[in-house]
Amino acid sequence: MSLKPAASPARPGPIINRFQPKQTQPKSQFPKKKPNFFVQNHRLFPDRPPNISVQRRQPLEVPIHIPPEILIRTMDGNLKISIDKLPIKRLDAIEENGSERFPSDVDYDENRLNLIRRIDFGWAVEREDPSKKQKSEGTTTSKDSKTTNQKPGQWQSLVENLQLARQELSVIIDLINTVEANDAVTVAGMTRPKQLPNEILSDLAVSTATKLQCFRHLGKYFKQSATALEQQVAREARFYGALIRLQHNWKVKRHRFGASASGNKGFYIDLFYNTLNDTSASLRPSSMSTIPIEHDTAGMLAVNLPPNSCRSLRFEFLGSHFANNMRRAGETNTRALSEDSTETMKEHANDDECVRETHSLLREVHRAIFDEQVFELISCEACNSSLSVNLTGIQENYLSLSINQGASVSISLLPSSQDNKTDCGAGTNSSETETLPSELLDGSKFGEGKDNVKKLGFPNRISFEIYLQQLFNEYVFVKVKNKTTSSVRSQISGQQSKDNLNILDHFCMSLAHRIFSNKVLSELEYLVCRTPYVQLISHHTWHSRTSSWTLSMKVPQSILHAGSQIQSSGANNVKNVNSQFWTKVVVIDESISVQGEGNPNVVGLFNGKPEITSPINRYECDLADLPIILLQQVASQVIQWLHEEALSLGIKVNRDFLSLAFELDHGEIASLVAHVDPEDTIGCISWWLMIDDGLTEDLKLHPGLSIGESESRKFLGHLSLNVLYSTLLDFVNLCSC
Amino acid sequence: MQNYFFVVSQRIVRVLELAGGVMDEMASQSGPRKEIANNHCSEFMQLIKDIQFALREEIKSACEYRPFEKCDYVPRISNEICYKKLEYVIAQLDEMKQTMEGYRNAA
Repeated sequence: MSLKPAASPARPGPIINRFQPKQTQPKSQFPKKKPNFFVQNHRLFPDRPPNISVQRRQPLEVPIHIPPEILIRTMDGNLKISIDKLPIKRLDAIEENGSERFPSDVDYDENRLNLIRRIDFGWAVEREDPSKKQKSEGTTTSKDSKTTNQKPGQWQSLVENLQLARQELSVIIDLINTVEANDAVTVAGMTRPKQLPNEILSDLAVSTATKLQCFRHLGKYFKQSATALEQQVAREARFYGALIRLQHNWKVKRHRFGASASGNKGFYIDLFYNTLNDTSASLRPSSMSTIPIEHDTAGMLAVNLPPNSCRSLRFEFLGSHFANNMRRAGETNTRALSEDSTETMKEHANDDECVRETHSLLREVHRAIFDEQVFELISCEACNSSLSVNLTGIQENYLSLSINQGASVSISLLPSSQDNKTDCGAGTNSSETETLPSELLDGSKFGEGKDNVKKLGFPNRISFEIYLQQLFNEYVFVKVKNKTTSSVRSQISGQQSKDNLNILDHFCMSLAHRIFSNKVLSELEYLVCRTPYVQLISHHTWHSRTSSWTLSMKVPQSILHAGSQIQSSGANNVKNVNSQFWTKVVVIDESISVQGEGNPNVVGLFNGKPEITSPINRYECDLADLPIILLQQVASQVIQWLHEEALSLGIKVNRDFLSLAFELDHGEIASLVAHVDPEDTIGCISWWLMIDDGLTEDLKLHPGLSIGESESRKFLGHLSLNVLYSTLLDFVNLCSC
Repeated sequence: MQNYFFVVSQRIVRVLELAGGVMDEMASQSGPRKEIANNHCSEFMQLIKDIQFALREEIKSACEYRPFEKCDYVPRISNEICYKKLEYVIAQLDEMKQTMEGYRNAA
């Protein structure tokens, strides 16, 4: 039989079973197992000789890779074998629940038959058909007809064809064997027939057109990507630009894992800074320490905080809550809070303002974290027993302490927005309106409250609030950072014998000191305003628990000039009269000490040396005695001065504590006596003139005793230094000695 | 640093545009115009070089950058406290000025 290719073209697609089952002969030649493959007939070059070469690949190479298409040339056409890579067992169907349905297992022989059937030998069969028809017409007649019709050459060609067919079959069998044995098969030496020029051109045209199309496509794609990237970059640049600006000032970190799926990229700002390694109070990061950075609707950076999440430290005097409320109305509040900023941020098209607002928001949170840490430290210290701190009340976010000097203070942690509310009158915070002394809740007038506060000597609460924060910052945070002793530490350690430095102690003692020294100051002011020739000078001590003032008495210039004029006309008295006297008042914690120039040195008097060093008297006293002592000191200084002036003028005088005795003619003694009275509203130091003619002896010169005016006692009044000096000059005339 | 980010991204965008331009040239019906294509390509290569240079600089500086080494959070708090002190002092001074003016007006 001659194998002619079928007239039909290639048949892609399903198999057509043309194989007749009764032809069992080829079956035995087939191997036992068959892979699925299709054999298709391509009749491209019907007149070309077949060219089959199948080369077996080396078994060491990967055997699985079979090219999906193998072109095998047969004598009449090209057999193209497509190898299906699917597994041998094919699914029939797969159900919804995932269970697979395979075709029922067929019998082995049945399977073989099926596989064989799948080989499309249609072309061969069709070729066979005419021959079969010829056969069926008559087995003998066909051959006979063939023999009669054709020459013996046709037999020859028939035999040749059969031989070639047999060759092909053997190739196929070989192929099947190798495929079955999982050896790789490759086609070597595949020679493509030379293409005709028009075919070359058409191929070239097609490929060129495809390439042009690709280029165009690529070009469009690139341009699209460029515009998209530009937009994206512009959008991101806003975000990242703002982020970089924030990064100059804050720690920007990023969550590596678990970034939220909303495209947030996981940036956040870390505001926590824990430097406390050695103290027992190790601060935990607050919930506000990490602030996520988000995108807002415009793609810009946005920081969203829950409202009222920032709290601030508040220090108050209990009982003066009312006055403080009023004062609060005047405080400037520059905090930008989150509830305002989220609305305003949407309005701001300007990126700068957005960044600035975020920045101030972060500052607010940072400060709030600090305040929380400070409050925690305060609570820890307050709960430890200490000298000057008495804890009188404790609630969540609230502490109240009582301090010496009758003050009660509260330290609390309040949401920042509450500061803005100016509640006049009704105290909305029930926690803060504890025991209010009734004398302070006088009416509803602002002025009265303020006066009361001032009378009690309470300092401004803001200053102490700041001081509290500064103490903790300097001592706790900065000290750990620098690992050097700060001035605060030396201040604290200087006043305490223990090693453990309690900041709250120091603070409370400072507060007590300040209240006390305010009282002292008010006394001093009261004294000085009624003593015209005494000045009050305040000194800065650079220590929070020490205050000092100086009461200085200066002799007016006019007197000095007058004195020098008289001197120049007089003897060669080189005098150097003190023209300035001072009394120093120093308050340390709550003890007052007074220092002042006292009685002159007796030895110095004799020598007449210009440098007369007076001993300095030192007293310790308490507040009640302070006015008297000071006045006595000042008065004695006046007497001292008068004494020296008198001596320089050549008058014979004797000096007592607060009196100056002049020897008059006839043995009379006239005394100028100073009288001090702190309660005197006109002036504190008044002068009496007492004349002792030696006859009345029971009249002692008591400076503090005012018996009343009589013949020998005359009240001179509150004299200024000028008047006293002129009185002295009068005595010059009187005591002509 | 913001400059680098923006500049590099703009360069990348320009590079893409150039590539698109070259492709369009190649796809044109009458064939690519050599000068334009060459110009585009040379600009492309130059930009790539610039990008690479910029990125290399960034990487170098990023390797040297030790994050959060000089954290200024504590001085920042000190600053905030100073700011509060200033606010307070200014308020006191304003009060003093008002008092003075009150006296002056009364006098």
